[in-house]
Amino acid sequence: MDIDHWSEVNQLPDNLQSLFQAEFSDNNPSPIIQNIVSTVNLDCKLNLQAIASKALNAEYNPKRFSAVIMRIKEPKTTALIFKSGKVVCTGAKTEEASKIAARKFARIVQKLGFPVNFVNFRIQNIVASCDVKFVIRLESMAATCSDEEHSAVYEPELFPGLIYRTNNSKVVILVFASGKIVIAGAKVKDDVFTAFDKIYPLLQQYKRVQH
Amino acid sequence: METSRSCQSCRNKALVPDNDTGNMVCTSCGVVQEFDNYQAHIGGITGPAGTYVRIGTVGSGSVNNFKENKIFEAQKFIEDFMFKLGLSGSKSHEVRLLVEKITDAEYGQGNWFPVFVGACAYVVMRKDHKMLPIAEVADLVGCDVYELGRMITRVVEFMDFKLPEFDIVNSFERAIKRCPSFGEVSEDVVKKMLQQGIFLMHCLIKWFVTTGRKPMPVVAAVLVFVGELNQVSVKMEDIAQELHVTLATCRRRYKELLERLVQVARVLPWGKDVTVKNILKNAPCVIQYMEMKSLAKCSDKKQSFEPFECDIDGLVGDCLRKEIGYGFDSCTIEDSSSNYFELDRSSNLDSDYPDKFQISPECLSMIYSNFLDEVSLVKAEIGGENIRKRRKTFDLQACTDWWKGKSDLSKKLFLKQILDKDVGLDVMPPSFDKACLAKEKRREKIKAAKLRIQRIMHPEIANSSYRNDLCLFEPEKCEKKKRKRVKVDIDWEDLIIETLLLHNVKEEEIEKGHYNVLLALHVFSDHGIE
Repeated sequence: MDIDHWSEVNQLPDNLQSLFQAEFSDNNPSPIIQNIVSTVNLDCKLNLQAIASKALNAEYNPKRFSAVIMRIKEPKTTALIFKSGKVVCTGAKTEEASKIAARKFARIVQKLGFPVNFVNFRIQNIVASCDVKFVIRLESMAATCSDEEHSAVYEPELFPGLIYRTNNSKVVILVFASGKIVIAGAKVKDDVFTAFDKIYPLLQQYKRVQH
Repeated sequence: METSRSCQSCRNKALVPDNDTGNMVCTSCGVVQEFDNYQAHIGGITGPAGTYVRIGTVGSGSVNNFKENKIFEAQKFIEDFMFKLGLSGSKSHEVRLLVEKITDAEYGQGNWFPVFVGACAYVVMRKDHKMLPIAEVADLVGCDVYELGRMITRVVEFMDFKLPEFDIVNSFERAIKRCPSFGEVSEDVVKKMLQQGIFLMHCLIKWFVTTGRKPMPVVAAVLVFVGELNQVSVKMEDIAQELHVTLATCRRRYKELLERLVQVARVLPWGKDVTVKNILKNAPCVIQYMEMKSLAKCSDKKQSFEPFECDIDGLVGDCLRKEIGYGFDSCTIEDSSSNYFELDRSSNLDSDYPDKFQISPECLSMIYSNFLDEVSLVKAEIGGENIRKRRKTFDLQACTDWWKGKSDLSKKLFLKQILDKDVGLDVMPPSFDKACLAKEKRREKIKAAKLRIQRIMHPEIANSSYRNDLCLFEPEKCEKKKRKRVKVDIDWEDLIIETLLLHNVKEEEIEKGHYNVLLALHVFSDHGIE
């Protein structure tokens, strides 16, 4: 599937998108988004102690980490709320869900008596995973995949997977011998699918051949 | 020169400072005055200058500044470090040049400097295709492997180097030559162990045991295995300590190696009896078989198995021969005083002329009954404590001559060449196998969940057709179970699968096992997003 198709798919509601992905996955594997990290500024200084004592779904241990950790169930996400008013929201499965979760966290903080504004919401990272259902020879791939545009680093002493990067994109792809891949570093959903479309034919070249 | 002070004895003010000591001396009476050289430190341009304190004085008379001293200490550290790593003079020089180049001849001080030198040493060795394990360097530096790894990455990126691939075979060679456990082993044995180890290492590369795994535990496992094969007493604990790797990981890799060899042994006539426990005894046969397979040309592989038939026959014959000790019953039957085996063997040899033996039927029946008695006696001896004895007296006399080392796999090969060879087994990585099993398990769970749902939705149909297949919670059975132990048929995973199925999630999606994502997308999204 090319990029144009994915951009069309991305305009659909989230539920339909996932159904479409599932439909498409019958023939070819398709990455599934596992986590979205977003940030937002609440534009006011916060008293973390007060938030931790008033909110039931919050934990705050300044010795361990200097932010309040707050969780909500729908969408199932976790937020790190800092004293400066900046919030990091993690755990959402779609971009829309991430924004809704960030708004919910902002609303909770607002209800605790802080003059909150919802400023500068941004998706910082999208992580997706996929199973290509065949075994990959990482050694061969590492030996031949690196050139001026791409880099494939495989250091089994440090990390079990092959780290694949391209010069023109910030997306990093981790390739494992079992055929599982992880795509990280994307800011937009399209980047994930574009990266996968590029690497999938490459992975097929290093598919393990059975004698 | 006169001062404002007066002499302690004559009160004369003619006091002058002594050139050598600096103390004040009275010129009239010659009395040395009490020490009073205190100078008030008053600031400003007109104020007196401060006392000059010398820093970095080395030896008498020479004055080194901070930078020179730092460089001296750094170079000394590099030399010591290289000596501890056992690197030669030229390599040590290369490392020093690399350090000098990266730091603009400034060298360095502080906690980062040993890590940096360790990274440079690793890079220099790796560039020269000589593997220096990161764990060893990190242990010497006293830092974390990942910290050293980060520094190596920085050095490589800064110098724009392209490091060659990590060569596990080379690290095996290095380990066998440098491990103190093999220090007292004779050179011939070490050479043979090296060949066998390289052969096994290549097999493990082919079998995906090394892919995506830390290489040094695999090296340790192979070292222990070839050590045991050649009757060198080595302990896994010692090897793990010498190679700076985790013992548990070494044991796991060792187990994986044995499991793979057992899988290879399946093709042998007695393959069904080969297990992880007795694979060491059968290892010579298995390795011989693997060698023979690897020696065959690729074209032979696909045509038929025929060319190996005669070889396998020979191999089996070798194994069943009495003088070769790697058969199952080798150690016990030989000890017995019975000479029927000799007779039996001679009869086999002369089987073409059965008429040569003039034995009456009575005599034959007596021989047979005696033979049965002795066999039962021998069997009784084997049982119980003799099993331990047998293991202790396990004699791999045959090990000395079974190894041919003719296969290319016992020499250094490129990855492509290794992959082209056939060693009688072609397996998937353990992680892939596990993933397939998990998927199969999930498929079964989906099937069961669908049946349960169908039974609840259409009880009439389900009662008639699926009664036996279902694992539903039945009240009658439950009463009985209450007294004993309640068996839980449905776990959390089944409930999630049921929920997902009820929300019309596709089975293919559920099989992947990303439950959290699917729940978020299909179950909770109705309330959360809309």
